[in-house]
Amino acid sequence: MTGTARLKLLVLPAALFVLAVYAWPTLGLFRNAFNETGPTGAMIEAWSLKTAQEVFSDGFTFELTLNSLWLSLSATLIALTLSYPVALFLFRTTSRFRGLLAVIAIMPMLISGVVRVFGWLAILGDRGLVNTLAQSLGLISTPVKLVFNWTGVTIGLAESIMPYMILALLAGFGQLDRTLEEASRSLGASPARTFWRVTLPLSLPALALAAGLGFVLSMSAYITPKLLGGGRVFVLATEIFEQATTNTNWPVASVLAIYTLVLLLLLLVASNIAARGLQR
Amino acid sequence: MSYLELSGLQKRYRDSVAVDDVSLSVEQGEAVALLGPSGCGKTTTLRMLAGLVDPDRGAIRLDGTEITRLPAHRRNMGYVFQSYALFPHLSVARNVGFGLEERGVNKAEIARQVTEALALVRLAGLDGRRPRELSGGQQQRVALARALVIRPAVLLLDESLSNLDAKLRDTMRHEIRSIQRSLGITTLFVTHDQVEALTMCDRIAVMNRGRIAQIGSPEDIYERPATRFVAEFVGRANALPAARDAEGRAVLWGQALPVKAPASGEFDLFVRPQRMRIVPVSEPVADGMARVTGRVLRSVFVGDHVEVLLEGAGGQLTIETQSGTAALPEGAEVAVIWQARDTLPFARPSARETP
Repeated sequence: MTGTARLKLLVLPAALFVLAVYAWPTLGLFRNAFNETGPTGAMIEAWSLKTAQEVFSDGFTFELTLNSLWLSLSATLIALTLSYPVALFLFRTTSRFRGLLAVIAIMPMLISGVVRVFGWLAILGDRGLVNTLAQSLGLISTPVKLVFNWTGVTIGLAESIMPYMILALLAGFGQLDRTLEEASRSLGASPARTFWRVTLPLSLPALALAAGLGFVLSMSAYITPKLLGGGRVFVLATEIFEQATTNTNWPVASVLAIYTLVLLLLLLVASNIAARGLQR
Repeated sequence: MSYLELSGLQKRYRDSVAVDDVSLSVEQGEAVALLGPSGCGKTTTLRMLAGLVDPDRGAIRLDGTEITRLPAHRRNMGYVFQSYALFPHLSVARNVGFGLEERGVNKAEIARQVTEALALVRLAGLDGRRPRELSGGQQQRVALARALVIRPAVLLLDESLSNLDAKLRDTMRHEIRSIQRSLGITTLFVTHDQVEALTMCDRIAVMNRGRIAQIGSPEDIYERPATRFVAEFVGRANALPAARDAEGRAVLWGQALPVKAPASGEFDLFVRPQRMRIVPVSEPVADGMARVTGRVLRSVFVGDHVEVLLEGAGGQLTIETQSGTAALPEGAEVAVIWQARDTLPFARPSARETP
């Protein structure tokens, strides 16, 4: 056996695992997508495109797609804007607390999504921190609706993807080098000009990477839209869950799931091409 | 007052002093090397000059104006970084033109000056390349062109040649020196390489532990080192433990030399290996010559010279002789002679203070 062949053996356990828990169920998903739903709601074994036709001729699917894309885009942009300075700081700081600060920045990852949502309810709810504070300062007279609507979901989602984006940014900052910024300064560029001409252009691959990741995570997020949306926010992920559990309409859920998967794959490819183009 | 004046510069970090007390005057058009081992504060000094590090104490004056607190981008210092620090996302031409763009020079003029600067460093025609498509030597030239094109008040080179291979380093040494001379540009080199310092500069400031140990011409530094540290750091030297006789002369290996010993304390005699000559024991000692005898331990052929290790009554010493002469057999009894004035006595540091 050659060295490379033996090396490939190392991947075998992981490959088998993925095959068992991911590839096999995904195949089942594909199979279900061709089944039909009978008048009683029971699944009928078939090989037809009837379910797909129904799903894509329904205007609600289109609305769900737009909702998902728009929500993911806003959450990603907000999270990117907030993560970039944090990641830049963590990347550069020479503080001895750097490791600790990095852990704090990604701490939200360690907390369950459900718990995090309840945290947001305590902050954004009608009697939450924000509204109470604004009212006592006399800024508003009645509470502003910040949860159980798109605003709440966007805020919660942006926060939940930030740790991942900070990590992605840190991983993507490869080309960013303090010396390059010093070179720019020595050549007469002010700190602001240096940021614009050196730091930002060299951060673009990292930003593209982080944005891609944030977007994918937002598209597939379920807990936040479900709980912070209070039943008023409909996106692809929540609809798939509804169809699969409440309605037990597996064919429709499968079609929607595959549709979402394809959307995400296309977006990933696009973001990869963009990132590679920026790196050149 | 000199063109560039550093006075009493100091920079401390949390647990160490990088630069303790550095004062230096540089004339316009002069090339000065800051030479020293790593951690001696030479790079920190250069960075303070460029405005990349704020000194804790002291002042920097350029052409009569204090610039100690002036931000880096308003100093007009051309800095060539050890890693070259070329912008990977910009072409060679945009890299070189970067400083001119920041100065609001119009496009046509930038193009003209960039072409001129690239020609100066012999890189004409590479304008459109990206830095990573260039060899190390070419990157170094781009970095140099980029620093020169802004017509800096002072050119600062931070270990700029250390990443090149030996042969290229030699070429660049001469090129940089000739460009520096022809442009008459005031230049500060930071280097730990003594050959670089000796060949490229009008004056050398040898630094040790955040202070300047000696400032002088390359000949001064090499021939008349002011301290033991300088004698050890620049060039090779035998450090020979010696004693003192009743007449105040230095005694080496039991033989009194026509060399004055320090008034008190333990001391070593420093003699450069290539200043020593091997002669037959029978040869009489001429006036003004120091002489000891010993036995050849071994000869090592190094190419352009032969290193002879000699053992005497009080220790060992190394002699560099020209190659091409007949090899000395091991164990041969010989005498070693050198000019007494080539002998430098330095006090021996106590065990606590390493040099």
